[in-house]
Amino acid sequence: MLRKLQLLMLLLSFVSLEAQSDGMEKWLLPTSVPQPKDNKLTQERVELGRLLYFDTRLSRGNQLSCASCHHPERGWTDLIPTSKAVGFDGRVGPRNSPTILNAAYQKHQFWDGRVKSLEQQALGPITADVEMNMPLELLIPKLKKIKGYVKLFKKAYPDEGLTQKTVAKAIASFERTVVSTESPFDRYAKGDASAISQEAKEGFELFKGKAHCTECHDGFNFSDGSFQNIGLHDGELQGKELGRYNVKNRAAWYGVFKTPTLRDVTKSYPYFHDGSVKTLKEATVICSQGGRFEHNVRNKSDVMVDRHLNEAEVEKIVTFMKTLTGPDLQIKIPTKFPQ
Amino acid sequence: MKQILLISLFTSLSLFGANHIVNQKGKTFIPHEITVHPGDTITFKNSDPFAHNAYTDDEDNEFDIGMQPTGEDKIITVKPGNNFSVECAIHPNMLLEVIIK
Repeated sequence: MLRKLQLLMLLLSFVSLEAQSDGMEKWLLPTSVPQPKDNKLTQERVELGRLLYFDTRLSRGNQLSCASCHHPERGWTDLIPTSKAVGFDGRVGPRNSPTILNAAYQKHQFWDGRVKSLEQQALGPITADVEMNMPLELLIPKLKKIKGYVKLFKKAYPDEGLTQKTVAKAIASFERTVVSTESPFDRYAKGDASAISQEAKEGFELFKGKAHCTECHDGFNFSDGSFQNIGLHDGELQGKELGRYNVKNRAAWYGVFKTPTLRDVTKSYPYFHDGSVKTLKEATVICSQGGRFEHNVRNKSDVMVDRHLNEAEVEKIVTFMKTLTGPDLQIKIPTKFPQ
Repeated sequence: MKQILLISLFTSLSLFGANHIVNQKGKTFIPHEITVHPGDTITFKNSDPFAHNAYTDDEDNEFDIGMQPTGEDKIITVKPGNNFSVECAIHPNMLLEVIIK
């Protein structure tokens, strides 16, 4: 009798888990990251990429590395509005440093989506004059003088050796390992009803429903990769950021930026492409009211309309978004570099 | 008389080509692949509750329908050339493959 009861309870718990995860598939983290055919992940490539990512010798003044603006202890960003504290020689970058968390899943890289792969992205900040300011014609000979690197490149890319292509490939390989850890929301999506609070559950329903957040922050990465003008500035944008319109003067791209992931969003403040908002609550209010400016915004996205949320509803959405943060990824920050 | 009607129907079809309807729904192009002939038209519909777009930078068939609000149709005519891909400028995960016969 006892065994029958135990069996029944076990069956009931499965039914309850099933019900919980029903319709939640699209929110579940994938088990692997996309990898290009000519740069499959190997331990040697990831390890080499990790060293390059943290090595300040990749910058012109030996002061900056990729991690200076995308640091694991700072939410894979730099936690300042527009990277002015660390830009090369004090130069100010025009945009907020985006997190590299889950960049591996994105179809386009950078706020304006100007490249389509992590390999193409990796060399951008190294060569940008407001960032690491290191021309490739100087970088490659510089790295080739470091015997330890030559050896590691030979191991990781035996047929290619140390070239600008393999520098990009190695950094991209490391970046492909920077993915979300399991958050309370993930446990909830898998069926653990107790993983998040009632307020967070109500916030999730608002997020998908009344607030229409999923019209952009959709799917497991809480971004559909769309490019939107969320109405942070009014009128014409002369002298201001034109976003993807700078890549090509396509009318639909005027003032648009890529929808960022909300994974680990509590760690990657300040928010928006200009880093102009300090708190998640303020960002939620701006988005749910249809942007900072309701009218007179050229090419504002038609999803940016006032959703008439009250304060309690905003709080619930914020509580929900906090459940998207998982434990820090265990990344060993190198203290010694190849010589 | 019948023959004349048939000939005139054939002439108008070959002159104006067929029309292919592509719906934008759930942030996808439906269908996501179409086979067309030069001279055919493609009608883009938008059944989502927000704006879409369709464009290609293909050398022979370059077009950009601009912002397409909900419920609005936009029509383009296919020119001779190679197969090409169409994206939505707002939702780049949307992809339509156009095969030219």
